[in-house]
Amino acid sequence: MFAGKLYDGVTGHPHEVEVSVDGSALRLSQAGGWSDEVASAQLRRIEGAHGTLRLGRGDRPGWRLVLPLDAAPELQRLLGKEERYGRWIDRVGLVPALVIGGIVTASVVALGYVAPHWIAPHVPMSWERNVGSAIVGDFGDLKCRNPRGQKALEQLVERVSPGATRGPDAIKIAALDVNMFNAAALPGGYIVVFKPAITETDSDALAGILAHEVAHVRRRHVTEALLRELGIGALIRMFAGNLGANAEQLVALSYTRQNEAEADADAIAMLKRAGISPKPTAALFRRLAKESPQFSSQFLQSHPQSAKRAEDFAASFDPKAAYKPALDRDSADALFNLCSKRARS
Amino acid sequence: MDSHRQWAASSGDRAIRFTGSWREYLPIAATNALLIICTLGVYRFWAAARQRRYLWSRTQLIDDSLEWTGTGREMFFGFLIVVAVLAPFFLFFQFLFPALVARGKAEAAGGIMFLFYIAIIYLGGFARFRALRYRLSRSWWHGIRGGSNDPGWNYGGEYLGRFALSAMTLFIVFPWATTRLWNARWNAMSFGPLEFRSNLDAEGLKGRWALLYAIPIVAILMVAVLGAAGAFARTPGPAPVGLGILFVAILLLFYVAIPLLTLNWYAAYFRNAAEATKLGELEFGFDATTLQWLGLFLGNLALAVVTLGFGITYWGYRNWAFMVRHMHVYGSIDIGDLTQSTTNAPREAEGFADAFDVGAI
Repeated sequence: MFAGKLYDGVTGHPHEVEVSVDGSALRLSQAGGWSDEVASAQLRRIEGAHGTLRLGRGDRPGWRLVLPLDAAPELQRLLGKEERYGRWIDRVGLVPALVIGGIVTASVVALGYVAPHWIAPHVPMSWERNVGSAIVGDFGDLKCRNPRGQKALEQLVERVSPGATRGPDAIKIAALDVNMFNAAALPGGYIVVFKPAITETDSDALAGILAHEVAHVRRRHVTEALLRELGIGALIRMFAGNLGANAEQLVALSYTRQNEAEADADAIAMLKRAGISPKPTAALFRRLAKESPQFSSQFLQSHPQSAKRAEDFAASFDPKAAYKPALDRDSADALFNLCSKRARS
Repeated sequence: MDSHRQWAASSGDRAIRFTGSWREYLPIAATNALLIICTLGVYRFWAAARQRRYLWSRTQLIDDSLEWTGTGREMFFGFLIVVAVLAPFFLFFQFLFPALVARGKAEAAGGIMFLFYIAIIYLGGFARFRALRYRLSRSWWHGIRGGSNDPGWNYGGEYLGRFALSAMTLFIVFPWATTRLWNARWNAMSFGPLEFRSNLDAEGLKGRWALLYAIPIVAILMVAVLGAAGAFARTPGPAPVGLGILFVAILLLFYVAIPLLTLNWYAAYFRNAAEATKLGELEFGFDATTLQWLGLFLGNLALAVVTLGFGITYWGYRNWAFMVRHMHVYGSIDIGDLTQSTTNAPREAEGFADAFDVGAI
């Protein structure tokens, strides 16, 4: 027999009750003669204050019985197991849950990062083209539309990758009047070059950059990145919050790093086949390395450190080879003026 | 038996006390952290429910502990619903925006972005309201719970309106806007049959807001003037030294002055807000000073650093304990009048608040 405090869930008024176990039910009684029975199936254990046993009823919200903790052993038979970690985990146990969860999580993450690499080559180019043209369109006013310059730009792509700008899977190259030193491959075989990448380099170095971007397109790295982003990226960001976003970036970057290394190797091979010296490209990377000193280790960066890339390109220089300029003088001039206001009018 | 029917705070004992201990909480913190990691974060809803069950149960209000009845399952489903609602919305903008920019339609893209932000701000206000309502509906005391019958759609509109007004005045009227919103939120809430009543105003907050507002502006002006003076003087020698001092001053401004002034504002805001809020005959107080808030945040930071990140699992514990320890409850409550709440208990949990990362209070 224990003295307890009963809240009936109708008012906040506490009733002093005597509590005893009666078969498979809990018997409550009061000095005035009132008594009640609660079947064990309805009883729920609820987290109560330190040193108390707090019970609720499944069929009456707000019904609460507060007992001293000493009552717990005697009532144990009626109460069943206490919910601790959540129903699913309680059922299998904490350690098995951790192990199963760990394996499932690791598999999902691994699959999410590795699978795009296998799937990307099988995504039909026509789908990717549709996505690409939906996103990119015709670039509107951003695009530099000088016909002679555009022709020279395409000519440069043809130099590093003959036939690249023709056929159903043609690479569509555009120069954009955006004041940032960059070039990028986009879904659907689009490659964009920003204005400073044209005006602040010579056409040999630009050929190196373009070869790198062409390699990204041909190896379906763009598709791969898109798949990865849509799959595991969205999943992790959804559930794991900020912490997850950082974790995701880490792995995502280490993967694109592998892609970048592949694209660099391809670019070096393309330059060699085209008979274009890799030295200007190496010089460009050396310059970039100086302009933006990189403190973090290479592991954390999506682009391999510029200094390291410069070495790779420089090492591929063959002193005996007969290198030719990437573009003749006229075409190089036309390319230089592709985005200039004077040439556009 | 009815000795605690009426209760007055003047009896010396504190009406609201935190009775938890960090040792007792350690198994919860440790298993929560492990399970969150092993489930790719999915467990965090159940972790939050466990944390709250513990914290609420270790909070003694007058003669009974609080009780949390929200479940991880309902928070998880609440979150899934919100994701299902918001995901198409976000995806649409994620693709529409670059598509418009790529076609050179920058104005259209800007307009779309503007609409997007309006919707986000509206939903952010709505989320905060719903989170408060959800938490009250899952908080019990004496077998009675809280809640609200207001769905919060209008509050979202008021939040958007007051935010727009604030923005249009370059946030000069922010104290007025934010205090009115506190009132709008709490005046819609109830516990049992008792309604929360709040009449917070900007009195006593304006000075602190002016400080927070003016000091960065004055500092930036001074830097600009000094910089200009330096440029005009063109003394070849000590220029690098001057630059160094300028750099340190800017660092101090952003990492010391602005955070301290922000705490200074929020310390007063919470004190005034608690004082202005009533529940039936119960009145509230909050006594944390700016320095005590600073202690809480620095403590949290130090704990995380010293424990190599594990301490982050204690932030929720520390924050709750801080709030309860600095809170006061005065006046009396007639337990006989405290009948069950008739508000609809919302079925969905605080999914929106979770998605927008806003607190409830």
